[in-house]
Amino acid sequence: MGKILGYDNDHLKMPNKIIEMGLLPETIFRILYQAPFNGPMYVEFGVEKSRIALREEEGDYIIVEELN
Amino acid sequence: MQANKKKQILLVGNPNVGKSTVFNTLCNKKQKTGNYAGVTVASYSGNYTYKNEDVEVVDLPGSYSVYPSSEDEAIFSKYLIDEQKNYAGVVYILEALSLKRGLLLFQQIQDLGIPMILIVNQIDQAERRGINIDIQQFSKALGITIIQTNAKEQIGIDEVREAVYNNQFIKADKVSFETPNEHRDFIRKLASHKGFDNEYKAWMSLSLGTDLGRIESVMDKLNEADSKSLVPKRLQVQETVRRYQNVDKILDNVISKKPQFKELLTEKLDKVLVHKFWGYVVFLAILLVIFQSVFFLAEYPMTWIEETFSWLAAFTGEHLPEGPVNSLISNGIIPGIGGIVVFAPQIGILLYFLYLLEDSGYMARVVFLMDRLLRPFGLNGKSIVPLVSGTACAIPAVISTRNIENVKERLLTILVTPFMTCSARLPVYSIIIGLIISEGTFLGIKYKALVLMGMYLLGFLVALFSAAILKGFIKNKGKTYLVMDLPTYKKPLFGYDLKMVLGKVWDFITGAGKIIFIVSIIIWFLSYFGPKQQPNELVATNVELDHSYLAKMGKGIEPVIAPLGYDWKMGVGILTSFVAREVFVGTMSTLYSLEDDAPEVKVIDKMRRDVKPNGEKVFSFATGVSVLLFYAFAMQCVSTLAVVYRETKSWKWTGFQVAMMTGLAYFVSMIAYQILK
Repeated sequence: MGKILGYDNDHLKMPNKIIEMGLLPETIFRILYQAPFNGPMYVEFGVEKSRIALREEEGDYIIVEELN
Repeated sequence: MQANKKKQILLVGNPNVGKSTVFNTLCNKKQKTGNYAGVTVASYSGNYTYKNEDVEVVDLPGSYSVYPSSEDEAIFSKYLIDEQKNYAGVVYILEALSLKRGLLLFQQIQDLGIPMILIVNQIDQAERRGINIDIQQFSKALGITIIQTNAKEQIGIDEVREAVYNNQFIKADKVSFETPNEHRDFIRKLASHKGFDNEYKAWMSLSLGTDLGRIESVMDKLNEADSKSLVPKRLQVQETVRRYQNVDKILDNVISKKPQFKELLTEKLDKVLVHKFWGYVVFLAILLVIFQSVFFLAEYPMTWIEETFSWLAAFTGEHLPEGPVNSLISNGIIPGIGGIVVFAPQIGILLYFLYLLEDSGYMARVVFLMDRLLRPFGLNGKSIVPLVSGTACAIPAVISTRNIENVKERLLTILVTPFMTCSARLPVYSIIIGLIISEGTFLGIKYKALVLMGMYLLGFLVALFSAAILKGFIKNKGKTYLVMDLPTYKKPLFGYDLKMVLGKVWDFITGAGKIIFIVSIIIWFLSYFGPKQQPNELVATNVELDHSYLAKMGKGIEPVIAPLGYDWKMGVGILTSFVAREVFVGTMSTLYSLEDDAPEVKVIDKMRRDVKPNGEKVFSFATGVSVLLFYAFAMQCVSTLAVVYRETKSWKWTGFQVAMMTGLAYFVSMIAYQILK
């Protein structure tokens, strides 16, 4: 489980979809699954428990804090 | 008299909110529903009449924002903004389970001053999760008419019609997006300069980045610091974050939920379906079940169809007057069309499974599973959808690439999708496999079925490897990424899908039937007439097949096809196949029916018996393999080419695809024939 703090300085290169889908600062998320060989991550997030698939590269733009 | 102008409304919403289901229940004319982001790839329209008012409903592709990041979203934004004069209003659909995400686009449209009605769909799903939505409060906060629906159960649809009839579309009286302070002065100047009636329109034209060139005169007045911050991308991010903050405030007063959620079907299913190991096992098992059904379940209806057509052929053969026309109809046209109709059950079963996979939401999981595996080939996880649906037909498959954001990945997918074994290849494969593969079983599976499965696998592998090679030759524009919604699983509409499938199958039969009918007649004419044999004739009639125009043409191309092991008849078959592959069967039926008059013998047996002048079989093993490979690889479908051109907007790539596929087909077939003969 984790919380989104913000985005990397480089975030102008980040696909807009990440923010449009609702991965915003302060959002609580969980990575439920990941496809083999460092494939996409299956992320559940927010109060509505939305689910999206996201590659690690896209995830790297997001600064997070681990929660327990 | 003036034509009664229809009232046009737009259906708009995020992907997977049940938009297409609303469309289908609203309209009499229907279209495919999908639970995979991007199934509604084009803008479809349908009609209904309510209280004597004709309404045209345009179903636009689902989108998350007015700022497009893929081709289908671009289609959506363009229509929404450019066609404002032509539609009465937007019916916006929110899914009760993801109000937050849906309200982003809702507010953008509202701020553009477009009149709207709001639908909140699938409220039952939210209730099952213990989420309560205060609709009255919601309606007040947004300043709009809200209708609750459960489109699958037809609940609330008449209320939507009533609201459209009463023109309950509401235009927001104020813009909800507050222009950030640092840009306000500039935005105001721009708005008045360009004559926009609100600030948001000015903001959006800046954020879209398309208008920057034309507003240079305004830009001059800015200091450097300002213009640096006016990066379209940055403005979009700023807008999205602000809007979400606003949405949170609204929803706080609208949603109340019990602390404990019930575990939903989706959570349970995904434990297996996206599992590192079991996920792939299930996917493979599903594919196997589909192919098993395609070949074994379809056997019974196929036998009935075959028997019906041979009876019909025998009946017309007996009852029509003797002569060439009799032979054309009873041996050419009827078996030719029968040769296509017989594949209707297989095509239908395949399509039905594909529809169910898409509607249930499973396809998005396949994208998740396949993304990493497809990337080394230059493809995106999303490419798996066109590849899988390419086993039915390449045309919708090519169109379904529109939601692949990266231009290079999309182009690659378009270029290789026609390698997948489409249903039009099935008739050709079946007849050739019937000719060259012997009876017998291996581990209980017929050799013939094994070879057919091998052909499917071959198509898939060639698609992958040609993508891997081509990716080195295509320039990459923009980043590749995968950010994709994983929708909740939904129970597919079994009956509704069945209806859709029957419609598609009927289209296939009538479409192919027409072509085969015309091609049969042309071939018959070309074979009935020949070059003059006596000086006083204009043309020779009722000639021996070998002296006909057709033979002359076929023999003209013989030098080209001889290295592949084909005689002139196959050459004619291949030429006519460039209209559509399945025409091969019709052409062969017509050709072989012309040669000898034995209506009781099936075409496949005539083909089997046919020998070359030196006594060798025409359809030897080597020739058969060569034909199979040629049909596997060659680009022989005019309709697919037309769609590829429309989607790529490039003659270069369309031409390249024809040359690459057909060139590959020629060389592989030649090598196979030369080795095996």
